Amino acid sequence: MNMSLIGLEISVIGLGLVLMLADLFMPAERRKFVGYAGIAALGAMLLFSFADVGTCSIAGTAFNGSFINDGISLFFKRFFILAAILVLFIAAEFSDRFAVGSVAEYYSLVVFALAGMLFAASANDFVMLFVSIELITITFYVLVSFQRSKLASLEAGVKYLILGALSSSFMIFGIALIWGTTGELNFTKLAAVAPQFETSKIFLLGVLLVLVGLGFKIAAFPFQIWAPDVYQGAPTPTTAFLAIGSKAAGFVLLLRFLFTAVPSVTMHWGKLLIILSGITILYGNLCALPQRNIKRLLGYSSIAHAGYLLLGVAALNAAGQTAILYYLAGYLFTVLAAFLVIALVLRHLDTDDISGLAGLGQRSPLLAATMTISMVSLAGIPPLAGFFGKFLLLKSVVEAAQATGNQGYYCLVFTALAGVVMSLYYYFGVVRMIYWSKEPSDMSPIALSPAAKLTAWICIMGIFWLGLFPNSVLVLAGEAAKALGK
Amino acid sequence: MHIGLQHYLAVSMLLFCLGLLGVILRRNLLVIYMSLELMLNAANLALVSFSRFNNKLDGQVLVFFIITVAAAEVAVGLALIVALYRKRQSAHVEDLTSMKL
Repeated sequence: MNMSLIGLEISVIGLGLVLMLADLFMPAERRKFVGYAGIAALGAMLLFSFADVGTCSIAGTAFNGSFINDGISLFFKRFFILAAILVLFIAAEFSDRFAVGSVAEYYSLVVFALAGMLFAASANDFVMLFVSIELITITFYVLVSFQRSKLASLEAGVKYLILGALSSSFMIFGIALIWGTTGELNFTKLAAVAPQFETSKIFLLGVLLVLVGLGFKIAAFPFQIWAPDVYQGAPTPTTAFLAIGSKAAGFVLLLRFLFTAVPSVTMHWGKLLIILSGITILYGNLCALPQRNIKRLLGYSSIAHAGYLLLGVAALNAAGQTAILYYLAGYLFTVLAAFLVIALVLRHLDTDDISGLAGLGQRSPLLAATMTISMVSLAGIPPLAGFFGKFLLLKSVVEAAQATGNQGYYCLVFTALAGVVMSLYYYFGVVRMIYWSKEPSDMSPIALSPAAKLTAWICIMGIFWLGLFPNSVLVLAGEAAKALGK
Repeated sequence: MHIGLQHYLAVSMLLFCLGLLGVILRRNLLVIYMSLELMLNAANLALVSFSRFNNKLDGQVLVFFIITVAAAEVAVGLALIVALYRKRQSAHVEDLTSMKL
């Protein structure tokens, strides 16, 4: 076994330990800057993963086939590291809301969650899937309830804890049933024997239970109950990481499970996936309409986006999988831009009400532009990243409809388009509040640190770059999706 | 009577359903948390019995992972419940209602 295959994971865990130790040696008021050291280290790892000399980009398996390095794992590892960098920026801005001196602990927890995501990207058997998903989830229990003095944060943490533990017990029971019937834990080996168990009720129940666990991670209907409450109660940087990191980890595991481990079963479950995707889109968008709390609104919108992403899963073709990867890349910049603005503007207010953004157009033109671009991209207006992602997802579904002649796919396309139209209402409600609110109470300009400006610019550039020049990322995503079908 | 795999699986299913009922019906956070552990252990029992009757050890190894993860989960979970109890002087789910539509 080549130990250097897990080089990225080892360095991330080492970084987490270093950040935790820094907590002991730094005076409380300077711990905020530990985060920038963490960002620099993660940035170096990101560059290293692009370098040809890097060993982490070698394809291969480790730990007796349970850990795999291939196109899709590398794509997601870069994705997760980038997400963690931006989340650390947001956390550094948000640090004055945490208990004095506890921010270094927060940074290290973010980095440990990142380690879980990196392992999830490489999981090739059920043990790795379970352990990586639990590493992410248990770290998030702490991250969600990190503002212990705030009741909403604790309450969100307990809700996430109960529902998360419930979903993982469903998942582990499903794994037990799958292993019991087939005798295989490894995805690649399971794919070879799965066709002969297609009629076994116990095996199918096991697959369904594992889907329950993964559905919880991505907040798909009917396992989305936790999302709005947890998004609202959690500290803003946690919500941002939950919205992008945890969801993407759920999707990489879902893709691996459906298309590498049990492809023969998945091919018969198109109908189920179509229904799941359609209901998730409608539920997320309909519930977001009346929301006044911006974090809760984004919670429901994240459910809707899980539904859009499920379009690519339901399409059951390589185009759909490529579209999912591309969409997630666009979603990364978009959603982190939104949470950056929320963290900067609303952190000193008691509420997360949309009215807190009133007058932002005059208070800080850069933040107002960031939020507007983010909302427009989430709504799917050209030429931004969100538009092209949705276009690719819908295109893959139409292709699937033409290839299979299944009328359900056309219904799904119309549902998704209806969802997009509905979402315009609430996204533009936010934009209207920023520029055209009646009587903004507070008109003082918002001072931005250079780091905050940099983050905002990175997000804006990312959204435009993915929307205007999608080719380079599409090529990467296409290469990555090829690894699934093997 | 010969005790076979299906008996063990029946017990495991029963434990799982009991745990699920506990999560749904009980109102005390600690009891809910105990029920969740019961569900995890139902899965452990299924894994161990499959392992015994199929003569494969992978399942038993997975059980060790599950026990370890469950221990970590309990440590974090109980800390959270205690923190909530200090804040609200109650560990009932009816009190978790500050966030609603």
